[in-house]
Amino acid sequence: MERLQQVFKEESDDLLQNLEQSLLSLEKNPDDENRIAEIFRAMHTLKGNSSMFGFSKIADFVHNLETLYSHIRDKNLKATSSIIDCTFQVLDLLKVLVEDPIVTDENNLRSLADLSVRILTFLENVDGSETSQETVKSTNVVEDSSPSAVDAKATTKTFYISFIPSEEIFEDGTNPLFLIEELTEMGKSKVFTYIKPFEIITDYNVEKCYTSWEILLATESSLNEIKDVFLFVEDTAEINIEELSGGNLIANADFINAINYTGYSGEKQTAEKLKEIIDSMDIKEITSQVKEKQAAMAQQIPDKDGAPPTAPAATKEKTISSVRVGSDKLDDLMNLVSELVTTQAGLSLYAEHNHTTALESITENVEKLSRQLRDIAFSMTLIPINNLFGRFQRMIRDVSANLNKSVEFITQGGETELDKTIIEYLTDPLLHLLRNSLDHGIESPEERKRLGKPPKGTITLKAYYSGVNVFIQIEDDGKGIDANVIKASAIKKGMITPETELTEREIYDLIFSAGFSTAKEVTDVSGRGVGMDVVKRNIADIRGEITVDSKVNIGTKITLKLPLTLSITDGLLVQISDTYYLIPLSVVSKCHEVTKKSLADELNKIVVLDGDQIPFLDLRKEFRVKDEAPEFFQLIVVENEGRRVGLTVDSIVGEYQAVLKPLGKYYRHQDFISGGTILGDGTIALVMDTSKIINKFSQVNKEELV
Amino acid sequence: MSQIAENILENLQSFLTFRLADEHFAVNVLKVIEILEVPKITKVPRSPDYMLGVINLRGNVLPVIDTRIKFSMEKTEYTVNTCIIVMSIDIDGEELTLGALVDAVDEVLDISAQQIKDSPSIGSQYNPEFIEGVVKVNEEFVMILNLGKVFSADEVQILKDSQNKDEKKKK
Repeated sequence: MERLQQVFKEESDDLLQNLEQSLLSLEKNPDDENRIAEIFRAMHTLKGNSSMFGFSKIADFVHNLETLYSHIRDKNLKATSSIIDCTFQVLDLLKVLVEDPIVTDENNLRSLADLSVRILTFLENVDGSETSQETVKSTNVVEDSSPSAVDAKATTKTFYISFIPSEEIFEDGTNPLFLIEELTEMGKSKVFTYIKPFEIITDYNVEKCYTSWEILLATESSLNEIKDVFLFVEDTAEINIEELSGGNLIANADFINAINYTGYSGEKQTAEKLKEIIDSMDIKEITSQVKEKQAAMAQQIPDKDGAPPTAPAATKEKTISSVRVGSDKLDDLMNLVSELVTTQAGLSLYAEHNHTTALESITENVEKLSRQLRDIAFSMTLIPINNLFGRFQRMIRDVSANLNKSVEFITQGGETELDKTIIEYLTDPLLHLLRNSLDHGIESPEERKRLGKPPKGTITLKAYYSGVNVFIQIEDDGKGIDANVIKASAIKKGMITPETELTEREIYDLIFSAGFSTAKEVTDVSGRGVGMDVVKRNIADIRGEITVDSKVNIGTKITLKLPLTLSITDGLLVQISDTYYLIPLSVVSKCHEVTKKSLADELNKIVVLDGDQIPFLDLRKEFRVKDEAPEFFQLIVVENEGRRVGLTVDSIVGEYQAVLKPLGKYYRHQDFISGGTILGDGTIALVMDTSKIINKFSQVNKEELV
Repeated sequence: MSQIAENILENLQSFLTFRLADEHFAVNVLKVIEILEVPKITKVPRSPDYMLGVINLRGNVLPVIDTRIKFSMEKTEYTVNTCIIVMSIDIDGEELTLGALVDAVDEVLDISAQQIKDSPSIGSQYNPEFIEGVVKVNEEFVMILNLGKVFSADEVQILKDSQNKDEKKKK
């Protein structure tokens, strides 16, 4: 059961997310028929799922909402903002209910009842729809409404069912009474029972079935659903199902009275006879009326999934082209692929040392295959960032309404894919940055008018690839950040002295220091002075960088630079003393050979290469390697925050595909090493975090000089 | 009879004993994953002395600690008996796996709870926080370690105070 509930939860989460998306777009454009159809579809599926899992309260609840949207779809009702607001609240409640599908929590129960009442009020206002009242299922959520209590004229049909089980039906353990019971639960019914007459009582065999039934069933279910009841007895019974009328005949007293039932041994009614009765009565009229209505409905609902005519093809494709896999399985797969890549590196190394043609060709193949496998496994862990963007839409809507600001939220590049772990890490930082933009960036509509800006502010969230990185930008056209204000505030807080010379970028970086908040008053939304430093730390945790550009009264642009993946990187393998290190290839721009002498002479730690002055760090010294330095060094020039810095190493080994392994908590103080990787021969190479190395060690040097 | 036997068995715990210089220590075998020969250790720059570096444990990176330095003894001299005890310890609710370099691994002992005596707070050079108890085996005292405490300590704090440490160094 728990597992089922998990499945239900996962599916519902997806549905609710889609629903939220559609709802947000509907709010912008209330007449968008496609959106309404999407909403309707999502609700329908949700309802179906909940009743399938037996969560009848949710099902009934959603059913009413679905009815409401069916009216909107049929243009009986306008999607007013109050309806949409109400739907948002329903959505929020449903998100909670997914965790508590049986609705045991009192609060949930109460909100469920409240919202049900609201939905009903909307339904009552539907004009020109005499059916609305009746289509609404009993909304008393505390009392479980059984489907047989439903009286829905518009969609109800009356069927005649003749069920004559074969005499041997008991042999496979079938109890025909259960089938009858199942039928009667589908709607209103009238059951006529017949028993085969016996001339001599001794012919009667208790192990055989002599009973047959005729059932009149008025139900919302379709013919197929009725047939499904008899799915397992098709071969052992004579079954005849006919639609008598498109209305509820059982509710018609005249018809029922006209039926001549003469007991167990009496004559059967048969479909023909019943039809005669119908023909002879006036009810035909009603039937045809109802039929017309149904024809009209059938046009709108081409299949029982309630999908609109335009959508079915697309939906179908969707369901086939993706498979749901647990994320822990993906993690396992990634781990195994990592192991494979490592093992393959070992194999390649072995093949290199043992020149056997056969082995070499096999190794090459294995290398090719494992590379492909790695790429595919890797791409599976990537998910489009759209998932994340969707969540923000809602947040922006709510928060901007809260702050009385009018904001247009534009997302671009939602199809950009990122490692799922990175996306998980990104949620909170991005949420915080967006809140900041809304709260501090975008001005109030009046203020904006005064400044000659359009009253509606714009926040753009953009994602795009660049090389091996993904960039995410948050751009607003708000009041911007005044570098002077930041500086003044930092001086006041004693973070810098008035004499400190800072570049614009360094000033903006101050925002990310702990305890820095320039907001004059603390609001509910942001401005508590925690946050930006946490944002920076979170981003740094996933090896990302964050930069701020801003112009006063024009806007602020915050750019996050993120690695595509966390687990595998391409790197340059180098050696210092007897230890191997890996420098991410993405930051390496050049390698030079230099002599020990040329470095030793430089007091100010600058070498001139190709006419450029490049500051460098002697890693031997920084890593406190004690043994004798070689005569020749390799100087690896790396890009760091827009400037080039040289790092000295003893020698370059080559290019290497590294599977990153964390060093663990024990080495948390050595954060300039971002992890370890296992080389083909089993030794460990340490992966450098060049930007941390440069920041950390050049800082130390500065202090030493002072 | 069987009831008594069960009680005894319940109270019995297995401990792995090992040696650092001349002293004997024990850890609960439930914490021990395996015992390794000493492979090539990759030193991580700018890390404390007792953190020897990392080794490759079947594709995973495992930090290795020089237990002797942690206990303020001289740095471990490598012999044929030197080995690494891989264990899993619980630090602040977090499961950590690490390797502890020791001079020699002796044996696995079954010790009943009654045999374990409180660590003498006076006369012992070790901080009682790190010692769960003392057991006398073959006329020798074996100290049962509280691993979580021993290895979560950032610095060398196993000794009661720094004076002790200095005295020992003088010796």
